[in-house]
Amino acid sequence: MRLYDISLKGLRRRLGRMLLLLLSLATAVATLVTLVTITRSMNHSVAHRMDEFGANIVIVPQASDLAVSYGGITVGSAAYDVGVLMLADLEPIGSIRNARNVSVLAPKLVSAVSLESREVLMAGVIFPDEIRLKQWWQVHGAYPVGATDAPVATLGGHRAMAQMEAGVSGADQAVLGSRLAHELGLAPGDMLVVEGRNLQIVGVLEENGSQDDQILFVDLTLAQQIAHRPGEINLVEIAALCSDCPVEELVRQISEVLPQGRVTAVRQAVTLRAETVDQLTRFAVVVSAVVTLIGGLIVLTTMLGAVTERRHEIGLFRALGFRRAHIERVILGEALVISLAGGIVGWAAGMGVVALLRPTIDELAMTSPWDPALALAALGGTLVVGLAGSLYPALRAAALDPVTALRAL
Amino acid sequence: MIELCDVTKTYNPQGAPVHALYQANLRVNEGEFAAIVGPSGSGKSTLLSVIGAMNPPTQGSMLVDGIDVYSLSVEKQADFRHEYLGFVFQQLQLLPYLTALENVLLGLAIARMRRADKVQRAREVLARVGLAGKEDRLPGELSGGEQGRVAVGRALVNEPPLILADEPTGNLDSNTGVQILTLLQELNAAGHTVLMVTHDAQATTYAQRIIPILDGRLVDGDHDITKNENPAINGNGKR
Repeated sequence: MRLYDISLKGLRRRLGRMLLLLLSLATAVATLVTLVTITRSMNHSVAHRMDEFGANIVIVPQASDLAVSYGGITVGSAAYDVGVLMLADLEPIGSIRNARNVSVLAPKLVSAVSLESREVLMAGVIFPDEIRLKQWWQVHGAYPVGATDAPVATLGGHRAMAQMEAGVSGADQAVLGSRLAHELGLAPGDMLVVEGRNLQIVGVLEENGSQDDQILFVDLTLAQQIAHRPGEINLVEIAALCSDCPVEELVRQISEVLPQGRVTAVRQAVTLRAETVDQLTRFAVVVSAVVTLIGGLIVLTTMLGAVTERRHEIGLFRALGFRRAHIERVILGEALVISLAGGIVGWAAGMGVVALLRPTIDELAMTSPWDPALALAALGGTLVVGLAGSLYPALRAAALDPVTALRAL
Repeated sequence: MIELCDVTKTYNPQGAPVHALYQANLRVNEGEFAAIVGPSGSGKSTLLSVIGAMNPPTQGSMLVDGIDVYSLSVEKQADFRHEYLGFVFQQLQLLPYLTALENVLLGLAIARMRRADKVQRAREVLARVGLAGKEDRLPGELSGGEQGRVAVGRALVNEPPLILADEPTGNLDSNTGVQILTLLQELNAAGHTVLMVTHDAQATTYAQRIIPILDGRLVDGDHDITKNENPAINGNGKR
């Protein structure tokens, strides 16, 4: 017979009450494990989708002093940029350490062209990449031939180069922003003459409130030919997946391999992503705190009840010469066993719930729920809550006057 | 061995004070079997709890081998109870969910001994009180006398010099009471000092010395110990 034997015997003696306590702790742990797993998956999913949805990094030529705004992003002046950035310069991006985080790389040449005696912005783009970057685009008519093929520039630039040089991807076809089309009175199927080149309007973008509404989009190679700037680009938009690396780190890596470009993070995209992820995390933290608090209170009241029920027994222990620390060890020993069991059962139940929910929640399918750190955290957290909730009852039991046992006679 | 010097225990000292003990002086020598006798409410259980290092007196001191026990820390007082005292309670206070062996082992739960040694000693003690073969019985499966023997075994297992018994026959039938008293007598004969409180005149016949108590006062005190004239003590009866 040792102190932990007394703890175990005590648990068996009050099996019903202790099973209820175990169930309460297990329920709390299962709730937390499920919540944390789902929230983490949702965070990952949201971050992933937000990263894919629009650019969070832009590159402009290094020496641009004058600025124009494009798509809400401040870029080097289309008309006055003095630095030169070539499409081939992007190739080393494919070899940076976090190249796999680069989801979409959309190079473009933005320049001013005369159109029916007025100046408009013409953006030469690689349509497959641009469409993937701007998933909110809706087009009346169609995109240029080959525009919906797999993105090319994303793969590091060299395939884009090859494809551009081969003259595919809808050369001599154009897509108009909605306001520009409206102002020019043009519709899909109409022809347009730009700097002596006949272009067919194949599509008009639906109005989306951005500067895209006033831009003429053509194939990058065609834009380079029209602007007499072969191989040149003056803006690159990048959608980077930053769920496992900070965007600033990607900016640093790209800057290293692209000294001729000025690489900047789009602050608002980064901030929005962080805020969204933070909100989800905050929600999980608040719910976790409430569940933990409730779990702790259940432990506290149950153990207090057990101590009251056993005051004569505790008095007997004191009469037999148990020190206060011995009494505390008996009570905390019981809490330790219950908490450990509650943590294991709760974690297993939580994983079971996650497995059941996996087919119905898309986000859960994106990440693996089997995380040893989560299991350790669940066990550790349950032990902390169980022991903390039992500390006051243990101290109270230890402080019981031993003469209580004699008075009970 | 044990010496009480002017011990007063007052309950409710701020309101209407009640002197459960008043200026009690007592010396219990090693090897004695003494019975503190008095009616209900006379203060005998309070006296036992004071001697049991569980109820500090309001005034006075209790010396054990010259050491003032209540000047020790609470934890040292617990150590004193563990090493020096064995309690036999009126209600026996056996834990119903522990076997006879486990109830006896409770007395050794905090002892620094190997588990096997503890079990061996507990078995020996159970055999000594006549319960060999019943180690694995729960208290509910034992007779009243057997339960009393388990309680005595628990008090005995740590080999304390002093055994304190609070109304050991209080809730037992006469036959079982006799068994327990005989057992205490045997322990005394084996060298243990036994101090028993009781209101049962028959029980006092087993003691060598009777100390009457009334309204919190030891009637004859330390210097006027009443020698037991009972034939049980003087060779005609049980002893």
